[in-house]
Amino acid sequence: MVKVKVIERPVPTVSTEIYLKEVLKGMGVSAKHFFQGITTQKNLVTTQYPEEKRPYPKRFRGHHRLMKREDGSARCVACYMCATACPSHCITIEAGEREEPYIQKYPRKFEIDYLKCVFCGFCVDACPQDAIRMDSDKHRIPAYTRQDEMAGNIDLLKLGGLSQARQGGKWS
Amino acid sequence: MPDTEEKKLVTMKIDGQEITVPEGMNVIDAAEQIGIYIPRFCYHPALSVAGNCRMCLVETNQARKPVPACREGAREGLEVTTNSDRIKEARKDVLEFILLDHPVDCPICDKAGECMLQEQYSKFSLRPSSLSMPKVHKPKVKVMGPTVLYDAERCINCTRCVRFMAEIAKDPVLTQVHRGDHAYIDLAPDKVLNSPYSMNVVDLCPVGALTSRDFRFKARVWFLESTDTVCSECSRGCNIRVDTYKGEIKRIVPRENPDVNGMFMCDHGRLAYHEYENDRLFTVAGTRTGDMNYTQAVNRISLQLLQMIKSGMPPVVILSPFMTNEDAWVAIFSLKVLANVNVFAIGGNAQGEGDDILIREDKNPNTRGLMTILKHFGIQPVSVKEAIEQADNGMIVFGTRHAWIDEIAKKIGTLDFGVILSAKATPATTKAAFALPVPSPYETTGTWTNEFGITQRVQAVLQPQQEARPIWQIVQDMHRGFARMQTFTRVEEITDILMDKGLIALDDLTNTGDDITVEAGK
Ligand code: SF4
Ligand code: SF4
Ligand code: SF4
Ligand code: SF4
Ligand code: FES
Repeated sequence: MVKVKVIERPVPTVSTEIYLKEVLKGMGVSAKHFFQGITTQKNLVTTQYPEEKRPYPKRFRGHHRLMKREDGSARCVACYMCATACPSHCITIEAGEREEPYIQKYPRKFEIDYLKCVFCGFCVDACPQDAIRMDSDKHRIPAYTRQDEMAGNIDLLKLGGLSQARQGGKWS
Repeated sequence: MPDTEEKKLVTMKIDGQEITVPEGMNVIDAAEQIGIYIPRFCYHPALSVAGNCRMCLVETNQARKPVPACREGAREGLEVTTNSDRIKEARKDVLEFILLDHPVDCPICDKAGECMLQEQYSKFSLRPSSLSMPKVHKPKVKVMGPTVLYDAERCINCTRCVRFMAEIAKDPVLTQVHRGDHAYIDLAPDKVLNSPYSMNVVDLCPVGALTSRDFRFKARVWFLESTDTVCSECSRGCNIRVDTYKGEIKRIVPRENPDVNGMFMCDHGRLAYHEYENDRLFTVAGTRTGDMNYTQAVNRISLQLLQMIKSGMPPVVILSPFMTNEDAWVAIFSLKVLANVNVFAIGGNAQGEGDDILIREDKNPNTRGLMTILKHFGIQPVSVKEAIEQADNGMIVFGTRHAWIDEIAKKIGTLDFGVILSAKATPATTKAAFALPVPSPYETTGTWTNEFGITQRVQAVLQPQQEARPIWQIVQDMHRGFARMQTFTRVEEITDILMDKGLIALDDLTNTGDDITVEAGK
C-alpha cells in the first residue's frame, strides 16, 4: 500500500488574488527599518564602509604571505606542495640551492598569479613548512595591469613574519 | 640473470595460488608472476641477493619464523603466505625500524614521489614513529663524484649501490662504514664515484640517499612528462625514457630491455641532452639565404640542384649516422636515383672507447642502418676526406656532429652550392651557402638500427621548433621539381616501405617498456 499524504491547497479568495494585503505588509517592514534608520538607529544591518571597517574574522583567507626564518630568509623550501595542491595552477616556483645541509633548497622565484587564485587556501594546508599563510588580514587589491597581479617573493615576504614551527619535527 | 632453462620445474603455493616455476627462483620473482607484490628494498633483479632490509618477510610452511622472500628459493611443496596478520605486523615493524633515524626530508628530497620508502610506508604501514630521543645525525650533501650526491641520513643501508658498483660497473668504490645506526655508505679511501655508469646508483637507490647532481632541484618528479625513445650516443641504442618539464628535458633514465641494455645505461647518455640546449639553429641561415624563409630557401636549393644535375655536375653528399633509417631512405633514394649523385660519405662522430658492459666504440646511433640502406642502393661510401676533396661542384652535408666538421666548414665556405642540415649553429652553418635547421635526436621520430642489427623506434620527446623540419621532409621538399619523386606525409609510411623491403625488422623488438625507477608502484 502506498501511503498518500493529502495536502490541502488554500482556496484562492478575492483578497489573496489581488495581493494588496501582502504588498502592504512588506512595505510596512521596509518603512519600519527606514524610520528606525533615521531616528533611533537601532538594529542597523549595514556598515558605513569605508568610514567604518569591520574586523576580519579570525580564519579569513586574505593575501598570501611567506613566513620567515630567524635570519629573515623565506622558510619555504620550494617543495612545490602548494603548487601541486593549487586547483588553479597559479603558483610558479623555481628552486635554488642553499649551502646549509638542513635547508638545501629555497625558492629563487615564488610567484602567485592573483588573476587565477581562488583564495581556497589549499596551498596553506599543503605546506609542510608553515611557510605560506593567508592570515595577513589583507585583501588582494585589484590592479590595472596583468603584471601587477603577479605577487613575487619580495611582496609575499614583506607581509610575512617569524614562524616558530620546527622543521623536521620534534626529534630531528 | 642465471640461466633457468635446464632447471627443473617445481610447484609451490603462494597465498593459496598454485604456481609452477624453475627450482630455486626466489619467491619475490615467483610471486610477481602471479601479480603479488612483495615489498622490498635491498632486492633488485639485476644484483646479487643481500637480504639485509627484511622488508620482504613472508611466512612459509617450512620455517617457524618469517623468512626473507628474496632469499627463499622455490622448491616442491613450499607454501608461502604474504598477507597474514603476522607479516603485516612484521612489515610495520621493519618500516618503523628503517624510519627510526630517517630525516623525512621529503620536501627537499629529489626522490620524493618515486621513493620506495614513501610508497611502501603509505601502502604497508602508516604507523607513527615512537621515537623519543634525538635522531642520529650523519653526513648530508656529500659529493660522491662528478654526478652523484649522497645523504647518509636518508640511506637505509640496503647496499644496492655497493653491489652495483662491484658487480655491474666493475668499479668497487663504494663500501659501508661504521656499525648499527651509525652505518652509512662511503667511498673507499682515495676513490671517487666517477665510473661511466655511476648515475645508475641514483635509480637503484630505493630512497633519496644517492641523488643526481644534474637533476638536483630541477623539477618534482610528479610534474614530469615522459617519452620512451632510444639513446643516440653510441651504437648500443640503450632504451631510454626522457622526462620533460615545461617543454625542457630534465633527465634521462634507462628502460629495461634485456636484448639491448638490460636495466642500465651510461652517464654520457644521460647527460647528452645538454648538447642540444644551446647554440641551436632554428631558422634558415647561410651566406646566400638573405632573409629567405624555409620555403624560399628550399626552392632555391631545388632549382640549383636541378641545374647542376642537368649540366652533369652533381654535388657530393656527406650523410650522418644520426639520421634515422627513414631520413636515410628518402635522402639516398632522392639523391641517388633522382639526382644521380655518385659520391656518398658517412660522417658522424669518430670512434671512441668502448667496454664490455654497455658502451660501444661506434659513437653513432645508426651506422648499421645507414650501411644497410646504402648497400640496398649498391653504393660504396667513400671516406669523408675523399668526399671533401671531390666537392668542387657542391656539397650537401647532413647532421650536426661530424668528426671532420672543421674541414667540412672550411670547404663548404668556398662552395656556391654548400648545403648543410644541422640542429646546431656551428661555423659550418654560418659559412655554408644554405643552412637548414633540423631536429635534435630528442625531436626526431623514426627508427635506428643498432650495432647488433636491432631496429628500434625513436620517438620525438619535444616537437621541432620554428623552421626545423625532419630531414626526410627537407629532402623531399628539395626534390619537388624532380620527376618520379614520391612524397610522404608521415614518417610511418616510410617505415612501412623499409619493412616491406626487408631492410629493417621492427617486430623483433622485445622492449618491455619497464623502467627501474618506479618499481615500487607496481
Ligand atoms: S589560495 Fe588556492 S588558488 Fe590561491 S594560490 Fe592557494 S591553492 Fe592556489
Ligand atoms: S608548500 Fe610551503 S615550503 Fe613547499 S613550496 Fe609551497 S610555500 Fe614553499
Ligand atoms: S628518501 Fe624518501 S622518505 Fe626519505 S626524505 Fe627522501 S623522499 Fe622522503
Ligand atoms: S645509498 Fe641508497 S642504494 Fe646505497 S645503501 Fe643507501 S639506500 Fe641503499
Ligand atoms: S628485499 Fe629481501 S631482505 Fe631486503
